[in-house]
Amino acid sequence: MNAVLSVASWAGSALHSAASAVADLTGAALPLATRDLLERVDERLAAVPAQLNEYGFDPWGLRPASLRHAAIPILLMYERYFRVETEGIESVPQGRALLIANHAGQLPFDAVMIGCAMLMEAEPPRIVRGMTEYWVSELPFASVWAARGGGVAGTPLTCREMLEAGESVLAFPEGVRGMSKLYAERYQLQRFGTGFMRLALETRTPIVPVAVVGSEEQQPGLANAKPLARLLRLPAFPITPTFPWLGPLGLFPLPVKYHIYFGAPMQFQGSANEDDAAIERRVEQVRTAITGLLERGRRERAGVFR
Amino acid sequence: MEKVLIAGISGGQGRLVAHRLLDEYVLCGVDRHAWEGRPQGIALHRVDLLKRQFEDVLRTEKPKAVVHLGFVRHFRGVEAERHETNVRGTQLLLEHCVKYGVEQLVVVSSGYVYGAFAENPFYIHEDHPLSGSRSYPEIRDLVEVDTLASSFIWKEPGVRTAVLRPVSVLGTQVHSLSREILSQRRVPVVMGFDPMMQFIHEQDVAEAVALALDRGLQGAFNVTGPGAVPISVAIRECGSTPVPIPELLMRPLFNRLFRAGLIPWPAGVLDFMKYPVTLDGSRFEEESGFRPLFSLGEIFAAMREGKDP
Repeated sequence: MNAVLSVASWAGSALHSAASAVADLTGAALPLATRDLLERVDERLAAVPAQLNEYGFDPWGLRPASLRHAAIPILLMYERYFRVETEGIESVPQGRALLIANHAGQLPFDAVMIGCAMLMEAEPPRIVRGMTEYWVSELPFASVWAARGGGVAGTPLTCREMLEAGESVLAFPEGVRGMSKLYAERYQLQRFGTGFMRLALETRTPIVPVAVVGSEEQQPGLANAKPLARLLRLPAFPITPTFPWLGPLGLFPLPVKYHIYFGAPMQFQGSANEDDAAIERRVEQVRTAITGLLERGRRERAGVFR
Repeated sequence: MEKVLIAGISGGQGRLVAHRLLDEYVLCGVDRHAWEGRPQGIALHRVDLLKRQFEDVLRTEKPKAVVHLGFVRHFRGVEAERHETNVRGTQLLLEHCVKYGVEQLVVVSSGYVYGAFAENPFYIHEDHPLSGSRSYPEIRDLVEVDTLASSFIWKEPGVRTAVLRPVSVLGTQVHSLSREILSQRRVPVVMGFDPMMQFIHEQDVAEAVALALDRGLQGAFNVTGPGAVPISVAIRECGSTPVPIPELLMRPLFNRLFRAGLIPWPAGVLDFMKYPVTLDGSRFEEESGFRPLFSLGEIFAAMREGKDP
């Protein structure tokens, strides 16, 4: 057993030093513009209101210092690749808020871009908390990255505690239905879960409707091979012009232009225990608000890629 | 001064509880093992909870309160014997408490009775189902013990009963699974997973027992320490090295090595290295006024130095 552990530990430390050597190299070779990006990220991260312990973690496993490592590729995606433009981000409330957005694109770049917008453009800068599907917690590495970046397994209890602690939480009530929607269904909001509305009522949290325009064309789904997904225990198995033909790289998004619209906060009144019909009426209002923003965005943009 | 009987007094946690209670109560204890050099005035009865003599101790000592720490928590012995000691032992202890007019009972259970699952919420409350045995069958006896004690709260309201569920206990004397694991120089972990874990110092657990007695608490209570860090941070802060192993290899490896008696932990612990099991301790803090005295830094320092900070 000990021999096994020694070998594994040696391999682990070799990997680790290789990784840090690469990090040093890239650090030295970083073009000035990229170093500039890092400085901006540091400045924003320092201004985030977060409750960190002496080891730099918050109660749910977020570690802003880890976000810093991921910041450069994400910010490059944000500014150079998707060329994200936001509107209305100043209307996001300062304290607790529930950001409700449309979800699409096979991989959750929409979540990452909303998160990046909230960090780089909101005042004060915020690290939005993502409610992830349970299966994300089962994935090696991805589960850790998600947690360090502010994600948690999306249980109502955890969401409620985060809201009560004043966090801003991002949720996609379309869930996987949205992420794996087909190109023909783009910008058609799928059925919304109602859990978010009950939580908003219970914790008196304002809801910010968010519309992401661009993500729905980033990786056009032609079909969803559900039997294959079941076989591989995946939430969906999209067939796109590039996936699975080019392997995992085939899921890389097209260089669409992202427009993110933050709508006016909606404060709902009432009890969290009302019957489904009453809750669904309020959910419908949020859905309508997002649909309106999506339509406006599609009308106003010059094209999918510019 | 009132008399308190401590079941499992010779174990690491039992000794700490005894020292903590020494000034306020008359103490007696039962344990299968001896405790050489115990403080004067503590009557130690070397009996088995399963044996008739244990009942005699309760009849003759007539304690006003009982602290139950008499569990086998390691996996080195025969599984059936461990189960019998823990479950049957607890059941007998509860029956004797009713029969001999014990007014107060504190049972020290554990936070892992909730179990480690991907769908766990963060900061679990006391009413969460106790599903620990679903993925970790080797601890089903400890889950049963907690269930027995928790239902005893309602069944026998005449005995004020507090069931304490502390998070992972670390220190220099306690024989907890987490201490055993974090004492290794190299700690195998599941590659690609790094869940948040909460820790509490062994002396804070003793403090929690004292407060539960002092306030006469009734109910089940999570007992949490100063906070949570990812398991990898805890391992490094305890002066060890995490050794990530792919789960595909690790699970069968653990199963085989455990069955062969080469490692003391079954594969069920792996889920605790994958998914966060974090508890909400606010109920206990509100009802008892408990605040952990030891910070995470002090807890890890104690582990590093192998002695109290």
